[in-house]
Amino acid sequence: MTPRTEIADLIVIGAGPAGANAALAAHNAGLKVVLVDEAAQPGGQVWRAPITAKAKQSPVKDIDRKMGDALRQQLVSANIHILTDTQVWSADRQPEGFEVGTIGEAGTVFLRAPRLIAAPGAYERILPFPGWTIPGVFGLAAATALLKAEKTLPGRRIIVAGQGPLLIAVAAQAVALGLRPVAIVDAASRADWAKSLAGYARQPRQLARGMRWMAQLTRARVPYYRQHEVSSATGADSLAGVTLRSLKSGETRTIDVDTLFVGNGLTPADEVFRLLGADQEPCPISGTQRVVCDELGRCSVPGLYAAGDAAGIRGALPALHQGRIAGLAAAHDAGALSGAALSAALASSSRALTQLQPFADASCRLMRLSGQRVAAAPDDTIICRCEDVRAGDIRKAINQGAVDINQLKHFTRLGMGPCQGRICAVNAAEIIRQETGAAVNSTRLTPRGPIRPLETAQLIGEFGYSDIPIPKPAPL
Amino acid sequence: MSTETCDLAVIGGGVHGASVALFAARAGLRVTLFDADALCRAASGTNAGTLTMQMTRAALIPYAMEAHKMWTDASRWLGHDVGVVACEGLSLAFTEREEQILSDRATARGAAGAPIRLITPEETLKIEPNANPGIRMASHCAIDGYANAYLTGIAFRRALLEAGVTIREYTPVIGLEPTGQGYDLKLRDGKASARQIVLAGGVWLEPMMEMLGLRLAIKTLVNQLAVTERAAPLMRTVVCIASGLLSLKQFPHGTVVIGGGWQGTGDRDTNSHRATTESMIGNVRLAVHAIPRLRQTRIVRSWTGFESETADALPALGPIPGFEGAWICGAVHSGYTSAPYTAHCLTQAILGGEPDMPLFPIDRLLTAPLRDPQRSTH
Repeated sequence: MTPRTEIADLIVIGAGPAGANAALAAHNAGLKVVLVDEAAQPGGQVWRAPITAKAKQSPVKDIDRKMGDALRQQLVSANIHILTDTQVWSADRQPEGFEVGTIGEAGTVFLRAPRLIAAPGAYERILPFPGWTIPGVFGLAAATALLKAEKTLPGRRIIVAGQGPLLIAVAAQAVALGLRPVAIVDAASRADWAKSLAGYARQPRQLARGMRWMAQLTRARVPYYRQHEVSSATGADSLAGVTLRSLKSGETRTIDVDTLFVGNGLTPADEVFRLLGADQEPCPISGTQRVVCDELGRCSVPGLYAAGDAAGIRGALPALHQGRIAGLAAAHDAGALSGAALSAALASSSRALTQLQPFADASCRLMRLSGQRVAAAPDDTIICRCEDVRAGDIRKAINQGAVDINQLKHFTRLGMGPCQGRICAVNAAEIIRQETGAAVNSTRLTPRGPIRPLETAQLIGEFGYSDIPIPKPAPL
Repeated sequence: MSTETCDLAVIGGGVHGASVALFAARAGLRVTLFDADALCRAASGTNAGTLTMQMTRAALIPYAMEAHKMWTDASRWLGHDVGVVACEGLSLAFTEREEQILSDRATARGAAGAPIRLITPEETLKIEPNANPGIRMASHCAIDGYANAYLTGIAFRRALLEAGVTIREYTPVIGLEPTGQGYDLKLRDGKASARQIVLAGGVWLEPMMEMLGLRLAIKTLVNQLAVTERAAPLMRTVVCIASGLLSLKQFPHGTVVIGGGWQGTGDRDTNSHRATTESMIGNVRLAVHAIPRLRQTRIVRSWTGFESETADALPALGPIPGFEGAWICGAVHSGYTSAPYTAHCLTQAILGGEPDMPLFPIDRLLTAPLRDPQRSTH
């Protein structure tokens, strides 16, 4: 049995604000679109749909929930062809365009189209510290996913730590659930936040929400440690204690908690772009890499477009407009939209993007994780949790001659586990850079499929021996 | 950049070049090893690590048997761990035609010295209980096993440094000029010179030979592999199929590497290669057909690497005709298995001795006339 193939004018990967709006714009312009997302419902991370009754029934005050509901409604009304609960595992260039391998309930399905918009979003980064892999340590993004989908958080005594606006969002919503954090641990100073205020002020609604959250935290008297970070966590099978360290004085204090939420910014989910060979560049604001694209989202690979955080971390609202722009550009490039119609349709989104940029930059600056902080990880800190590779192992491998990250992978198995390097590679790269001064291009793992670990049964489906196209045997 | 003349310049730091460099340095030569990338990062670091007789060409079996001894004894002569596991090997037949292939191959390889015998399905399942009970026959080889190929680079690097080899990674040699006393090597930023040279560039032997004005066709295969996440013990032997298009082994840490020479796509000149979804599905189906319980695993990664092959799929191993002190080493189908031993034989010749087993001189493979010897000695 050969896997099924679906043919469209445009494939859109990711049904978050960027991808969904790209699909809508292209569909409305007349393209046959297929939209893929690994979640059960569209919305992405920020506009995630509620799953549990508790989450569904809670009053819809939150702007992200409102935007998400509206988006889901739009997709239904427009009758967009969408494959949910479906993972993208391969992306190939072909003479006639792109082939994207997906796996969902129907097994393996290949999508083919002359154009591809990838809007896969971002991953959260965690500054590794001794103990970050102990059960009971969660990402801030995981916390927001739980809050949006299930209106719940694990833990009794919690600490919320890291950097950037998610800190405040998670801590305040925890308070609202009756789960008052024992501490908020923020790498930023008051001055860092003050610098961001100008950017945030450009989006009064978002700023007001942030101020409301801050007020909630103040009312609840949640201890707020500025310019602090988590320096270690202890516990055997579950978290027992977290040690905080002042970034100014180096002073430490240990607090007994059972749950830690920690996040240190975002990095683009760029596997699809890298597999397809699209050019990358350093992002001066976030400090990570991003895919190179023009103002319409066109990448260096003809027919490939980027939208949303993959093209540089900007957040949900800019992503909506980036998506719409990329969708219109794809429609125009496919001949479905004249140049004049494109310009007319672009105007509002381009304006909105310009307006949103200072807000996005403000968040990005707060979330930026400095390479020195990562590279300072003590030797016993786990960097690659799948293969248990510690900072000291990496330094030892560098001393033994590993000068780039792919060699490091061979020397240590870093990145060979089920996370496929998604979590560890960016941190290992900082250690390599620090120790060797290596250039960025030697600090990225060679892109390898599958994009996600694949269940073998789903990949191969049912087949008979004669279905396997066995090539000619090698010579005797 | 120093232009001091070394005794031997080895160009290409895969398992062939690194072995020659190691043996020559231990024999007292001053050796420099050049690689355009890092050591053992092409075929030698990305192949499936299979140390099997069942896929080795019959003419190479005596070499592979000696090399197998070397691999399993790597701690003695190499001094460092390449994760070698010696175990039995099985090659399975599922059709009548495959039975025929199996018995032909077992006969030929058995005649060449490999301890291969044909066994019944019942015996096969006793050796490998998770094999597909639908097999018709298997060939069993008592001498088989695997290395952990990605460890090749670090193991050789340590050994080479201990032996005093000068390692020059990320240093492509872009020109070769005979000087009468040896060779000048043109580098991107300078030059080096050596009394003797060894070309050991795998698929890049063809452009390397062009630097001497010689035409040696090297076929480039783009072998594709996949690996599962760590799994509970599923198998203990190296499992192949009669046609040779499957190699399966479970490493001590639990991952199962699926190979067999299914083809990805790639281009030697740009050093780019990638896996294809068709080959991945086909190869994994074949693996599951052989060991059905693999169906319950997850595939974590697929990758590709170049394999080089001469026109007759036998080694290019010996002196380069018309070029005093120039040698070639490589281009072997399933070359990883035999490499330490073929490299050992070549090194004996380089040192002026008689190799323990005959070399595979390349006169048979050269398709274009030699460059004018007058010009070449300038």
